[in-house]
Amino acid sequence: MENILDVQNIHTFIGQYHILQGVNVRVPKGSIVALLGRNGAGKTTTLKSILGLTPPREGKVIFNGQEVNGLRSFDIANMGIGFVPEHRAIFRDLSVEENLKIAERKKGDYLRKRDFIFDLFPDLKRLIALPGTSLSGGQQQMLAIARALVPDNQLLLIDEPSEGLAPVIIESMMSAIRELAKESTVILVEQNFLVASQLAEYYVIIEEGRSVQDGKMKDLAADKAAIHRFLGAA
Amino acid sequence: MKTFFNSNRGAFITLLLLILLPFIIGLFDGASPATVFVNGSGQSKFIQGLAIEIFILAIYAISFDLIFGITGMLSFGHSLFYGVGAYTTGIAMKSFGLPLLPTFGLVLVAAVVQAILFALVLPRVKGITFALVTLGLGSVFHILVMSSEFGPYTGADVGLQGVITPAFISPANERLRFYFVMLAVMVLVYLVYQRFVTSPTGRVCVAIRENEGRARMLGYNTFYFKFVALLLSSFTAALAGFFHTLYQPIVSPNVAGMGFTVTALLIVLIGGVGTLNGAFVGALIYRLLDYGLRRYIGESASFINGAIYVLFVLFVPYGIVGTWRLKSLQMKQGWERLLGCLVDK
Amino acid sequence: MNSFLRKNIVMLVAVLIMAAFLIAAAQGMEKQDFVITLLRGLAVGSITFLVASGFSLIFGLLDVLNLAHGTLFMIGAYLGWTVVVRPDTFVDMLTPLALIVSGFALGDVYPLLASRIRLGLSMRRILPWGMILVSILLFGFILPRYPIAIWDVGNYGQSPVTFAFMADSGARLPVQPAAFTEISAPLAVIGLLLASILGAFGISLFDNTPRTVRLSWKNFVSIAVALVVALVGLIFNDQLSAFFYCLNSNWLFFIAVLVATLSGVALGGLMEATLIRPLYSRPIYQLMLTLGMSAIGIEMVRAIWGRPEFVMPKPAFFNGGGEACPATNFADWWTNHCSTILLFEGRVRVYNEIFIPLVGLVVLISIWILLQRTRLGMIIRAGVQDSQMVEALGINVRRVFTMVFALGVGLAALGGVLGAPSTGLSNVMGESLLLNALIALAIGGLTSYPGAALGSVIVGMIQQFIIKYGQIGIVIPFTDIIFKPTPPLVPASTVLLMVIVLLILPNGLLGKKE
Repeated sequence: MENILDVQNIHTFIGQYHILQGVNVRVPKGSIVALLGRNGAGKTTTLKSILGLTPPREGKVIFNGQEVNGLRSFDIANMGIGFVPEHRAIFRDLSVEENLKIAERKKGDYLRKRDFIFDLFPDLKRLIALPGTSLSGGQQQMLAIARALVPDNQLLLIDEPSEGLAPVIIESMMSAIRELAKESTVILVEQNFLVASQLAEYYVIIEEGRSVQDGKMKDLAADKAAIHRFLGAA
Repeated sequence: MKTFFNSNRGAFITLLLLILLPFIIGLFDGASPATVFVNGSGQSKFIQGLAIEIFILAIYAISFDLIFGITGMLSFGHSLFYGVGAYTTGIAMKSFGLPLLPTFGLVLVAAVVQAILFALVLPRVKGITFALVTLGLGSVFHILVMSSEFGPYTGADVGLQGVITPAFISPANERLRFYFVMLAVMVLVYLVYQRFVTSPTGRVCVAIRENEGRARMLGYNTFYFKFVALLLSSFTAALAGFFHTLYQPIVSPNVAGMGFTVTALLIVLIGGVGTLNGAFVGALIYRLLDYGLRRYIGESASFINGAIYVLFVLFVPYGIVGTWRLKSLQMKQGWERLLGCLVDK
Repeated sequence: MNSFLRKNIVMLVAVLIMAAFLIAAAQGMEKQDFVITLLRGLAVGSITFLVASGFSLIFGLLDVLNLAHGTLFMIGAYLGWTVVVRPDTFVDMLTPLALIVSGFALGDVYPLLASRIRLGLSMRRILPWGMILVSILLFGFILPRYPIAIWDVGNYGQSPVTFAFMADSGARLPVQPAAFTEISAPLAVIGLLLASILGAFGISLFDNTPRTVRLSWKNFVSIAVALVVALVGLIFNDQLSAFFYCLNSNWLFFIAVLVATLSGVALGGLMEATLIRPLYSRPIYQLMLTLGMSAIGIEMVRAIWGRPEFVMPKPAFFNGGGEACPATNFADWWTNHCSTILLFEGRVRVYNEIFIPLVGLVVLISIWILLQRTRLGMIIRAGVQDSQMVEALGINVRRVFTMVFALGVGLAALGGVLGAPSTGLSNVMGESLLLNALIALAIGGLTSYPGAALGSVIVGMIQQFIIKYGQIGIVIPFTDIIFKPTPPLVPASTVLLMVIVLLILPNGLLGKKE
């Protein structure tokens, strides 16, 4: 299958710290790929390196057949990559509607996608005029994902969508992600292995800044030893 | 003992040069060391005067480096410390006729009081707000000094003049003695600061600069350490102010103004932020540059000062001493690599 | 209702204290004194607000404490004053400035050009420096020889003071037509254009980030405009100068305001793009850089305009006199354009005490609309909180940074030129105003836009009331002692208020908790 994104052996430094020391990720078009690994392994930095927020010093990031490393972040994002960061990063001084509108790349993106977004997250519809601060954690997460859906993105980078959410809300979050994966490709960083294993088709395990193992999620789920070794989970 | 000497070779050579400086300059001028010794007028005396000013500036700048470069508190009211020292000395000696030692004691008390004043603010405000509050405290003092109500004491906007320095260190007749007193004070201040920075307290101060939250989480009461740094800094700056009044015929209200804080910032920047030695190098360059520019270019000197400032910020951000340290490490590594290659073969 | 109370408690208390202060202040003075002082406070507050709002926008979004803001305010005032007093200098400047701009207006064309040229690595390193060097040499050769009618600070007959005096008395020195004597006009024009293009190309070569450029006619609009301005300025130089000299003072004033504001915008944009941008990773150095820029700016003003103080002539619209003045009501004022108007039996200067607060109000509302109702405002509000996330959404945040910096400096320059007819021009106006603006912001909240307005008005009011009481004296309650606040108390009171406010509320009255 054709790869929409191909991350080849990237090395990223933050200050003088060598955070990523060779990460490879291949993302087939239309799939959900989970980045797994312990805290501080470099999963979030991988996402940020793809988007050029922490530009990699070595290696290549190829998106849709075009080399994007070295481009400026907003240029990369404008090629069709949406980002849902850790801790959601909802803009506090903006209303829910403005939080969606700001993500427009072409005029009218928001109006075009509004119905689709509200079908996916019906809760947001009645919160539309409220300021970003007044939302609960789950609502903020929905808004953050919705924000990435406003423009026509081919790839979504979603960082820790289940973090700090109640189980019921995680359920609806998962179904939403599944729904939107029909339209585009998703890279998911997820601490919760249960969530990741139910959502993703492929996985990449990152350990100490290196990608150490990848493959199909089915195989990993069966391989209890690997799970224990890399993720510390049973 | 030998290792101590070796590791501080540069410092000792500098000290020796500074001790000999008045006599060497005298020789250039054709004056014998004996003439210099009895304070005969000439080039040597002029250079001594310039050096004294540089020493005072250096002491003032190092006190700013302690709270800005080492502890990481940006204060825009630092000239208050210096100004209070200078004005306390002047008023005590001129208006109340106190002798030198009690005046010095008074300056000490004033230094403690102003450190406490700043410390009152410390727990409430941080970062830019701290800078603004200190700016405010500094300008209140500047305004008080400038106001005509206190004119009889402070000389208002003309400045405080007519302070009679005791004859045995009179800058006019006993300048060489003043020079050596100043040199001794400067060396003493430097030793104290070096000791402080390498002490456990000083290390915590550096930790506060790097990350105050983490320092607090490690169980340090950061307020206490910041207060100690402020106290030492306030005391040193007041000391510089004390000698300023003794040396200069007039204490201009400018020494209490915002511009004088910027001078400290500039000196520390030229020398290298957080390096301590940088304050001396910076004071030397700043004063000589200022003197040379004013003499040869005149009016537009501060234009060039500003330009140098901007160029330093853009191209030499670690200052002269900081850059030297970085480079000398690289040079040392380079030498070792070279030697390593030779030995291997 | 309850939650409204709880949320805005600080503002309500502040407003209550303000009201109490005003009522207390009103006890000691006549009604007309009170009204005039109130209006003066508003006027000072408005000028302070123009500087403070730009400062706070820049600090909020870019995290840059722009200590050169006061100096830029001063430069705005001096530029506007120059346009009013010496329109021929302004006309002469048009052509070279437009030519210098034209090369940089090509912007996006250079990367495309660069990608067509294949060069060796060493050439790639040397080439930009070589181009910039040639550009600087060309500028250095042509600009001093370019004829610009300018005064001479050293020569009294040709000094700004003389021109100021002539302008005040309504007379004008005769215009000397600019003549190309040391260099021929076509050579100068082509040389400047070439130097500008070389310089811009050289600078653009440093930026190695690949990007996608699509050329269209839009890329060439700005250079075309610049070239047309340059040529018109060159060919019709004398006619334009004569036209400006004969223009009525209202239009001239309007043009001065426009020129000062636009120059501020350009200066701000240039400053951000060249000096501030490389230092975003080292905020403390940015602060020091702006300090240095401020010193340089003050010296430049001293070198060009000298040290004497000037007052900009008021436009005729606000400067009428004669039998019918002072006007008794606004309809009356509209027909006679008196310089003063009677309000509550007090003589109020229309320009200083009514026009300036009105402009302040207009700017307050327009920026508020910009922030709340436009996409740019949305991006600014979002960027204040998290500029990285805004960039991740595909928005060129750097360009917004430059725009906000330019806007902020433009506002300061507008404040400068508007304040020039009422407070006059001097070398130190920038520093004292910056201190006022800083105090106002610290009181109102450093990054809060309404806070900037509230703080500025508070600072203006307090200062004006203390000045007024310095003249008439205040009876200390329960005693017969009449106390006259002395001039040093004016700045001291606001500084003290700032310290008190910051100690109680470290984020200012309307600032948000971080």
